[in-house]
Amino acid sequence: MPRTVQSEPGEIFDIELDENLKRANDLIAEENRRQLQAYGVRAIDVMGSVGAGKTSLIEHLARLLKTRYRIAAFKGDLTSKIDSERIESIGIQAVQINTGRECHLDANLVKKALRQLDLKALDLLLIENVGNLICPADFALGSDKRVVVISVTEGPYMVVKHPFIFADADVAVINKIDLARPMDVDTSKLAEDVRKINARTSVVPTNCRTGEGVREVAEALGLKPAQ
Amino acid sequence: MHEFSRTSQIVEAVLSEAQKEHAVKVIEVELEIGDLTFLGIEQVRFAYKILTDKTIAKDSKLKIDKIPGRGACEACGYDGPLSYIDDEQFHIIVPTFNCPRCGKPLSISAGRECVIKRIRIRK
Repeated sequence: MPRTVQSEPGEIFDIELDENLKRANDLIAEENRRQLQAYGVRAIDVMGSVGAGKTSLIEHLARLLKTRYRIAAFKGDLTSKIDSERIESIGIQAVQINTGRECHLDANLVKKALRQLDLKALDLLLIENVGNLICPADFALGSDKRVVVISVTEGPYMVVKHPFIFADADVAVINKIDLARPMDVDTSKLAEDVRKINARTSVVPTNCRTGEGVREVAEALGLKPAQ
Repeated sequence: MHEFSRTSQIVEAVLSEAQKEHAVKVIEVELEIGDLTFLGIEQVRFAYKILTDKTIAKDSKLKIDKIPGRGACEACGYDGPLSYIDDEQFHIIVPTFNCPRCGKPLSISAGRECVIKRIRIRK
């Protein structure tokens, strides 16, 4: 990093630093990306608020794709192994990442978790971020794709109130569509809001209790489910 | 959202640089913070004040330049500020990452910064 020192009267110096504080995370994220690519592993970062249905989506994706892809999952939470045990029960390897107090995963935690996996024996990594629609947006992990899960029970303004999380979203999943009517939420309005914020994001409505729409999520991510 | 941890990184970097330069006092620190980050300026200032107390950066001036969001469009070549959807009904101003000229998705070229530009010290 070039540093220039300029003298001013009274022995006062200006030091050009140009130090980027997000660089530390971004560099590790790039390292993760390169490592995953070297082994041909596709990684998907699943973000969304608490209770939106991230784990259910991952369970359904894993069931749908496990005959075609060798899959592992990372499960980010503050604490507990409840969800990673849920995921392992369907026969895929899961690594629980407990952040303790942090409200998002960061690239370094993912790097540590990658050491727990045999990447040679893997095609697809599903990373479940900590339930939060705000902070994960600021922390790249090194994934190929980012998915945001929202659900109709969170109300009709979930998208417009959290626009930044959609800046890098490849797919937005609108979950719990079976409850749209009782909740009086118009899912097409939510989809329209996503498109207004980011035309790159594909929107897929799902019901992750029954698995409705999950095949379309896989396809939107460029994954091919078994017939 | 992460003002305290980011600001402790900032203060740490500032103090280590000041020490390298044998400074007796840090007079001013200039930051660039992007509009698309989740760093609230008020909270950064508050954390800075607490974190610099009892250091040589105590009472130093914290200058913060806000960097507005910008995007570049591959489809039509637009390179400029992001546009906003203004929904008067709900008093919500929502940024859009679509091109204001052609509607295609933009790639973000500015607005995510958190940079220490320069520091002013006394030796």
